[in-house]
Amino acid sequence: MNNARMWLVVNPTVGIPVFLGAVAVGSFSVHVGIVTNTTWVEDFLSGREMGSTAALSVPSETAVASVDGAKIVFDEGEAGDRAVVILDDGRTAQVVFDEPDEVKTASLSGALD
Amino acid sequence: MSDPEKVFPTGLTLSEAEELHSQLIDGTRVFGAISLLAHVLVALTTPWLG
Repeated sequence: MNNARMWLVVNPTVGIPVFLGAVAVGSFSVHVGIVTNTTWVEDFLSGREMGSTAALSVPSETAVASVDGAKIVFDEGEAGDRAVVILDDGRTAQVVFDEPDEVKTASLSGALD
Repeated sequence: MSDPEKVFPTGLTLSEAEELHSQLIDGTRVFGAISLLAHVLVALTTPWLG
């Protein structure tokens, strides 16, 4: 309690708000650091399972297909409806495939005949 | 510090300063406890620590 004497020198109507403000700024900057440096906060806020984006961005050689100028890495999750497209220049995109319903499949197979 | 009723430039006496400071310390402890709980929950429920 020997620091109590600070209030004999620093006016509490100034010192207390400055003290609480500093704690708030520090806490806010830590949260900004976490949001910008992780993927799991964004996952959580958009309803995905935490860590799923990070897992997606690690391409595994087994589930890879390549097209001219791009590589497609399929997610090995149960749904298997997601993949990461990696262009030759390193840019990536996450894609979510639609469920193949009968109508679409029929028209597709019709087109291919 | 001999005169306990001396009023300092901020308008406080030593006992008032100590009373104020003890409140600030208690508040800081409550903040610390809440923060500790939050860190434990994050550690358990997020990929933070793997």
